[in-house]
Amino acid sequence: MALAETDAMQGGKTEKPQGYWAGVGARVVRDPVSMICLVVVLLLILSAIFAPYLGLPDPYKGSMIARLKPLGTEGHLLGTDEQGRDMLARLIYGGRLTLFIGLMPVVLAFFIGSALGIVAGYVGGMTNTIIMRVVDVFFAFPSVLLAIAISGALGAGIVNSLVSLTIVFIPPITRVAEAVTSGVRALDYIDAARATGASALTVIRVHVIGNVLSPIFVYATSLTSVCMILAAGLSFLGIGVRPPEPEWGLMLNTLRSAIYINPWLSALPGVMIFITSLCLNLLSDGLRSAMNVRD
Amino acid sequence: MLSYFFRRLLLVLPVAFGVSVICFMLVQIAPGDPLTAIMPVDATAEEQAAMRAAYGLDKPLPVQYAIWIGNLAQGDMGKSIATGRPVAQEVFGAVQNSLLLAVSAAVIAFPIGIFLGFLAGYFRDTLLDRAVTALSITGVSVPNYWLGIVLVIIFSVNLGWLPSMGAGPGGSQSWEWDWLHMRHLILPAVTLAVVPIGIVARTVRALAGDILTMDFVQALYAKGMSRGDVLRHVARNAASTALSVMGLQLGYLLGGSILIETVFNWPGSGFLLSNAIFQRDLPLLQGTILILALFFVAMNLIVDVAQAAIDPRIKRS
Amino acid sequence: MLRLKAGIAALAVAATMASAAWAQGTLRIGMTAADIPLTTGQTDQGGEGMRFMGYTVYDSLIEWDLTSADKPSVLIPGLATEWSVDAEDKTKWIFKLREGVTFHDGAPFTAADVVWNLDKILVESSEQYDPRQAAQGKSRIPAVASYKAIDDYTLEIVTKEPDATLPYQMTWILMSSKANWEAMDKDWEKVAGSPSGTGPWKLETFVPRERAEMVPFADYWDETRIPKLDKMVLIPLPEPNARSAALLSGQVDWIEAPAPDTIPAMEGNGFVISSNAYPHNWTWHLSRLEGSPWNDIRVRKAANLAIDREGMMPLLGGLMVPAKGFLPPSSQWFGNPTFEVKYDLDAAKALMEEAGFGPDNHLKVKALISPSGSGQMLPLPMNEYVQQSLAEIWIDVEFMVVEWNQMINLWRAGAADPSVDGAMSINFTYFIQDPFTGLIRHLDENLIAPNGTNWGHYSDPEMQELFKQIKTTFDPEAQDEVLRKTHEKYVDDALFLMVTHDVAPRAMAPKVKGFVQAQNWYQNFSSITIEE
Repeated sequence: MALAETDAMQGGKTEKPQGYWAGVGARVVRDPVSMICLVVVLLLILSAIFAPYLGLPDPYKGSMIARLKPLGTEGHLLGTDEQGRDMLARLIYGGRLTLFIGLMPVVLAFFIGSALGIVAGYVGGMTNTIIMRVVDVFFAFPSVLLAIAISGALGAGIVNSLVSLTIVFIPPITRVAEAVTSGVRALDYIDAARATGASALTVIRVHVIGNVLSPIFVYATSLTSVCMILAAGLSFLGIGVRPPEPEWGLMLNTLRSAIYINPWLSALPGVMIFITSLCLNLLSDGLRSAMNVRD
Repeated sequence: MLSYFFRRLLLVLPVAFGVSVICFMLVQIAPGDPLTAIMPVDATAEEQAAMRAAYGLDKPLPVQYAIWIGNLAQGDMGKSIATGRPVAQEVFGAVQNSLLLAVSAAVIAFPIGIFLGFLAGYFRDTLLDRAVTALSITGVSVPNYWLGIVLVIIFSVNLGWLPSMGAGPGGSQSWEWDWLHMRHLILPAVTLAVVPIGIVARTVRALAGDILTMDFVQALYAKGMSRGDVLRHVARNAASTALSVMGLQLGYLLGGSILIETVFNWPGSGFLLSNAIFQRDLPLLQGTILILALFFVAMNLIVDVAQAAIDPRIKRS
Repeated sequence: MLRLKAGIAALAVAATMASAAWAQGTLRIGMTAADIPLTTGQTDQGGEGMRFMGYTVYDSLIEWDLTSADKPSVLIPGLATEWSVDAEDKTKWIFKLREGVTFHDGAPFTAADVVWNLDKILVESSEQYDPRQAAQGKSRIPAVASYKAIDDYTLEIVTKEPDATLPYQMTWILMSSKANWEAMDKDWEKVAGSPSGTGPWKLETFVPRERAEMVPFADYWDETRIPKLDKMVLIPLPEPNARSAALLSGQVDWIEAPAPDTIPAMEGNGFVISSNAYPHNWTWHLSRLEGSPWNDIRVRKAANLAIDREGMMPLLGGLMVPAKGFLPPSSQWFGNPTFEVKYDLDAAKALMEEAGFGPDNHLKVKALISPSGSGQMLPLPMNEYVQQSLAEIWIDVEFMVVEWNQMINLWRAGAADPSVDGAMSINFTYFIQDPFTGLIRHLDENLIAPNGTNWGHYSDPEMQELFKQIKTTFDPEAQDEVLRKTHEKYVDDALFLMVTHDVAPRAMAPKVKGFVQAQNWYQNFSSITIEE
């Protein structure tokens, strides 16, 4: 066990020997489906990040005479939207917000939920009861309903969407974290560590986190595609991102009336959401089987 | 069995209380004046104040909560700001319609999902397995609100086979179990069924696959049991987990149909909710979410109890 | 037992099929509202509510002439046959009521019913006071001080001050049946399920949020307006694409406000698009507070000259009337303004340079807009178009985008309110059908926000004098002349950034015949037939 230079909170890789993660990595790399998905997701993320350097037209600048041009129009590879803005540029720039609100809530929920769950599982007793009962209450809402309810009450906006989606994903992650931590806590070597007089924080940091983070992480990755679809759904309903920002769910909504003029064009944002969510799902599956974590 | 049921019921009460608090809080976090949407645009300040008093919105918050929860206990959920009709009446009507849609989607999704999952699990790592896995992962990855629009364009607008909206030629109140009405149900139910088909198939596949490789199954084979008998054993073992997944899915179908109901103008709770959001009809928003969440809580309770009935090991844990 | 049930079910199917085949005269309309408008009398849901649930089931004392598509509609007798102001006391009006009118429930209509209905919305202590109807009706009749029945068919109304616009105000007030309200245990909620008015249509069934079905009232007092259809069905379909799909797949025969992009597909499938000018405008209401750049008439005129309104047509599928003034060009009160609202970039630039701006000295303005809202047409692309146009004459527009409900609040609050955050204009579309809603309320110094709807804090003694004349000119023709002069001042002073007018597009199946789209927010459905 190489404990020396590890920092659990930052790296998330402690007790497991490097060999374990190398093994997982090797197994993921050997799986062609996972690799393709990984490449697609990375491409989407990178193109979103570096969108301003790709030489694309301004995604906000429209033209009344160049509205709803079909795919393959000169100068507009993927056509133009209902305001004559370049679709390719909007889809790529749209990836920024879509991926951000699609992934960020899971990341935030991963940290908050893990922290809550580990504390609840490790400390137990009253703390556990309080945390878990509150989680139970949020769990009583189906996720779509809770997201829509909070977003609907708060109103449209990027921050509001982030808040509502994060709240939605904290309870399931907390539950998993609590269950895993409780399991780990009961193991002999933890007792041994505590017997040697290590402080609770040290025990959690050194022994617990390393053992519980990977199952929580795998679980969290399985939530990303749900979160993506849900985030785009909020924008589609009109309670997510506000126009004129490019975002796939919102674009799907505003292009709906163009479906009679140019069905392919209006399907594009839906295709993007579908591909991304498909890749995230497959990637999560690949990771899961590579880590040999069961449902 | 009965004592387990009561123990679970006792656990549900605090959850139900928490749910009511969250529903009440929803209104408090909402910015803006809930009456804006219904006042004529040039109403004077005085007229607005009168309206506010008429809806009890001039009272302090704790008083509003006490009144709300007190009325709730008597089955009175207040009045919709937008329509003036009792919220309870609106919500129950809408939940019935949603239930009709959710159950129809479940009737489509569960058998298909179970069948596909079982096939895939039994013939693990064959071409069939891969096909089912691909299908189910597609099902959970497709944004169903988008699929709904595509289906409307194909089957309603282009082919003219099925209606695109509403709950029957005379509205939901004159629902009949005949073709004239049921054809309105087909597109939204199919759209809604896509996700649970994927999820149920995945779950059943994993269960069946796992159980088949377990020791006791091997032992059954060793004992010389026929394939059919082994299958029956496997099914019974998988039933409890599958049941819990399906119970949850039914809850999700009910609570998650808002996008589909909006696309198809289906007069259910999701449609009501989206109206409530856009008209900023907060009492209605509150009431709809409360009922749906309580329904979900009840669904969980039923699933737990049913699971315990099937698999006695659960009761002990 | 089971067999019996099946038999009944089969019969039911047969019956529905039969009725579907028999009801050849059923018109199904997809509305833009999310709900059936309030059915008890004063409607909600804005102009659409009055159109479908107001002047169908109910009448007012004075109504709009909806018979012609070619000329702007004017006031005509409704439940009152004549009205006049007292020669001596200009606050006293006498209304002669129509005799022989009955409500749908059979009760006769008399002056006592008018008093009862006015109490319903004005007198909180009255038994029939209904806050919901009051919220919709009270603000429409600000002039009314008191009223009484002289005899069964004579009504007296006293106004707070002389106000010649009272007849226009009275078009808002719809008459519901007292007898029916009493029959429904004096409970407005029960009345909502089976209301009774004197209008040409009777509400037959009503499923909240889903549909309302109306049938003709055979005893309607105006024989020319007894509906020819067997039935009219109203279906709320707020989502524009759901509305289009419903029409294209034959589930409704008529939709309000089809999305511009769906119009080619509809016309391609043989559907008919009906449209006409009506009193609606899409403008920027300008702030006239100290320090607003819009206080300079040269800047206002330059902005008005910088917009190529025809260039906006493709965005709206051609369904717009380019603004020539504040009122639509076909309005009876348009007059002959000397300033021509048109696209003239050179003249606009010259004016801007005269005002001290140029390529090196841009003018920065902040504009309040909303991404959606009733009657706002396509606010985002249209505003972006305006932004691009104004950039040509060195006006840099920064948008403050707020949600529609918030926008309503900011509009009520006025330009000086801190919540407006220094925005110098608001893009708020207006219902401009009568002298008050059309002209007075926007610029009257007594109605400066938040006490009224003069958002920009405009104040001009000359305008004030014109408003006074409108209110004190009791001869309708002379009053029209004053209204024309008022509008000329609106245009000549370029008091708004006048962009366009909506044309109330509606799409209908080719079998819908006999509809005449009046130049009005309301329409007459009695002449319509369905041709199979």
